[in-house]
Amino acid sequence: MRAALAVTGASLRRVGRDRRALFFLVVLPIVVIVIVGATVRGFSTVRVGVVDLGAGRAGRSLTVAMQRAGNLDVRRYPSLDAATTAVARGEVSTAVVLPRGMSSAIRSGRAVTVAVMADRANSTQQAAAAAVASVVAEEGALVQAASFSSSQGLGSYEQDLARATTLQRRAAQVGVVTRIVDSNAQTLPQGFGYSAPTMLVLFVFLNAVASGAVIVETRRMGLYERMAAAPVRQSAIVVGETFAYFTVALGQALLIVLVGAMVFGVSWGDPLAASVLVVLWALVAAGAGVLSGTLFRTPEQAGAIGPPVGIVLGMLGGCMWPLSIVSGFMRQVGHLTPQAWAVDGWTDLMSRNGTLVSVGPELAVLAGFAAGLILLSTVRLRRVLA
Amino acid sequence: MNVRAPPADPEGLRAAATGHVLSCTGLTKSFGRRRAVDLVGLHVDAGQIYGLLGPNGAGKTTTIKMVCGLLDPDEGTVAVAGRDIRDLAVRALIGYVPQEVALYPDLTARENLAFLGRLYRLRGRVLGERVDEVLEVTGLSDRARERVEAFSGGMRRRLNIAAGLLHHPRLLVLDEPTVGVDPQSRHAILERVRSLGAGGMAVLYTTHYMEEADRVCDRVGILDHGRLIAEGTKRELVARLGEKDRIDLVASGDMEALAAACRSVPDVATAAAVDGRVNVVAGDGRRVLPALLEAAERSGAAVHSVEVVEADLESVFLHLTGTALRE
Ligand SMILES: Nc1ncnc2c1ncn2[C@@H]1O[C@H](COP(=O)(O)OP(=O)(O)OP(=O)(O)O)[C@@H](O)[C@H]1O
Ligand SMILES: [Mg+2]
Repeated sequence: MRAALAVTGASLRRVGRDRRALFFLVVLPIVVIVIVGATVRGFSTVRVGVVDLGAGRAGRSLTVAMQRAGNLDVRRYPSLDAATTAVARGEVSTAVVLPRGMSSAIRSGRAVTVAVMADRANSTQQAAAAAVASVVAEEGALVQAASFSSSQGLGSYEQDLARATTLQRRAAQVGVVTRIVDSNAQTLPQGFGYSAPTMLVLFVFLNAVASGAVIVETRRMGLYERMAAAPVRQSAIVVGETFAYFTVALGQALLIVLVGAMVFGVSWGDPLAASVLVVLWALVAAGAGVLSGTLFRTPEQAGAIGPPVGIVLGMLGGCMWPLSIVSGFMRQVGHLTPQAWAVDGWTDLMSRNGTLVSVGPELAVLAGFAAGLILLSTVRLRRVLA
Repeated sequence: MNVRAPPADPEGLRAAATGHVLSCTGLTKSFGRRRAVDLVGLHVDAGQIYGLLGPNGAGKTTTIKMVCGLLDPDEGTVAVAGRDIRDLAVRALIGYVPQEVALYPDLTARENLAFLGRLYRLRGRVLGERVDEVLEVTGLSDRARERVEAFSGGMRRRLNIAAGLLHHPRLLVLDEPTVGVDPQSRHAILERVRSLGAGGMAVLYTTHYMEEADRVCDRVGILDHGRLIAEGTKRELVARLGEKDRIDLVASGDMEALAAACRSVPDVATAAAVDGRVNVVAGDGRRVLPALLEAAERSGAAVHSVEVVEADLESVFLHLTGTALRE
C-alpha cells in the first residue's frame, strides 16, 4: 500500500512539474468552455424588435434594460408597420411596442399597455415574451401598471391578455438568465450550462488518454524495471499508477465543476448524483489513460494518437453537438462510447432535475465502462511490467 | 522489517557462514533460438568484488537481470544470502544499478532518491538520513535540489549508483556503471566501489573495460556468447596463459590481413584486429618481435608503433576467444 502510494506520489509530482500538462489540464478546458459557452449562447439569443412611439425616458430605460439582458438581441424599428413586417418575416420573434406618452403615464399612475407582437408560427415567441416580461419585471417599479396585449393574429384579446399576465407573473420570479427546466428536454441547457459538462467529459478523457505518454516514457526510462527490482509487488505499481491517473482526472473534473459553478453560474444538478457521475467519469478516464500507456511504443505516439481518439469519441458521444440532432443510427453508434452516457447523465441532471435514481441507468453503464477499462489496463500494464 | 540492519534470518546466517552472499547455479536463458546465457554459475562472497567481463552482447545484462529477479531463468537458481530470489523479501538485500540511468528526469535528485527509498520500505527520519548519506557518498549533496535533467551524464550515473545504495544492500549489482563517464568521474566511481567492497558488501560488477576489471575486481568471470569461459582471480587467470606476453601493433592498412600474417608466425598463440590495432599473444614477446614485423611488412600493412606488455586480462580474453575486446 505504501509502495503504491509512493508510485502515485512520484507520478503526481511529475504532473505538477509539467507546465504543458498544466496547460492542458487547467487552462485549455476553461478557455474552450468560455468559447463554446459563448457560441452556444449566441444560438439561443432571442431577437426582439422595439418600436418606440414616443415613450420618453421610461421607454428608453426599458430598451436599455432589454439590450443589457444577455439573451436578448434588440433591434429598433421606426414604425409599427416595419416591426409587423419584421415579425412576419421572422427577422425578430417578437416586437415590443412602447406607447406614446409612457413616461408621463407612469408618473401619473395610469395604466400603460406595452404591446408584445408575436407570430403564431414562431416557436420562440413564448421564450421571447417571457424574456421581455422578465426585463419588464426588473423595471418593475417603473412599469408597475404595465400590462400586455397582443396586437395581431393571436386569437382573442382576452386570451392574449390572460397569457401576457401569466407571463408577467412568472417573469417576476424568473431572473433574466433563462434556465429551461423542461421535463422532457433532450439537450443540455444553453450557454455555459452546455459547454461546461460536455467539455468536462471531453477533456478529462482526452487528457488522460494523451498522458498515457507518461507511462510509455516511464517504461522506456527503465523505471518500472527499477521498481520491480525493489521488494514491491507488481500489483502495487499498477494500483499506484492507476490511482495517479484517477487523481488527475478527478482533480481536473472537480476544477471544471467548481469554476463552472462559481465563475459561469453553471448549475450541475443534484449534488449527490453529480458527484457519483464525476467520480465514475474519472475512473473511466483513468482506465483509458493507463490502457493508452500500454498500447504505444513511444511517448510521441501516445501524444499524437491519444488526443484525436479522444476528440472522435467526444464527437460520437455528443460532446460537440447534441446526439438528439443526429440520425438514430449515429445515436446508437454514439452510445458505444462512454462519452454519450456521461453526457446523457448530465442532461438528465441539469435539464430535467434528475436524481441518483433517474440517472441510475447512465451511472450503471459508466460503472461498467470503468470496470472494463481498468481491468483491461491492469492486465496490459502487468504484461508491460513483466 | 528492520531497515537499519539486514534481517538476521537463520538461512542468511548460514549463507554468511559459508561466505556466499550470492550464489548462482546453471543459469540459462534463451530469447527465441538465441541462447543469451548458457549455464552460468558463480558465487560472490561478502567483501568481494566480482567482475563479469565480456564484450557487447555477451550476456552480462541478461545474467544480472536474473540475479536481481527481473528475469526468470529458463534453468538454474539464484540465491542471495541463502534465500531464493523468487522470495520477494530477498530483493531488499540487493541494490540494483541498471545499465541505463533509470531516474525521473523531471524530479530532483532528492525526490528520486526519496521515491526509490520508499519502495525499499524506508521512511521518515531514516529515509532522510539515507538520502543525505548516499548523496554525500556520491558527491552530489550540493546538487540535491536540482532536477536530474539538469545533470551531466556523469552526475546522472553517480546518482544512479546512489539509488542502489539507499537501503544498505548486502549485494550490490552494478551493470556497466562507468559507460560514458569522464575519467575523473570514472575514477571516483571505481574508488567508491572498492571502498564498498572493503566495507563488507558483496559486489557484482559487469564491464567490458579490461582495465576496470583489473583495477577493482577481486575475482573475474569472463563471459563470451553467454558462457562463462574462465573464472578466477586475475592472477589465476593470467597464470593460465603460461609465460606469455601481449604485443600491440598500432598499424594502418588491411588489419585483418595483418592479424592473419601475425598468426602464421611461430610461437604466436593468437592475434586479433581491433580498430587501428592488432593484439598478439605470444610466448616471448621480445623474441618473436622481428619475425612479427617481417610478417607485417609482407602483409602490406604499415606498422606505426609496437608495444610489448605483460600478460593481462585482455591477453587472457584474446587467448581464450581469439577475438579482442573493445578497448
Ligand atoms: N529482451 C530480449 N529479447 C531478445 N533478445 C535479447 C533480449 N535481451 C537480450 N537479448 C539478446 O541476448 C544477448 C545478450 O544480451 P545482453 O544485453 O545480456 O548483453 P550484454 O553483455 O549486457 O551486452 P552490452 O555490453 O551491450 O550491454 C544479445 O544477443 C541480445 O541481443
Ligand atoms: Mg548490458
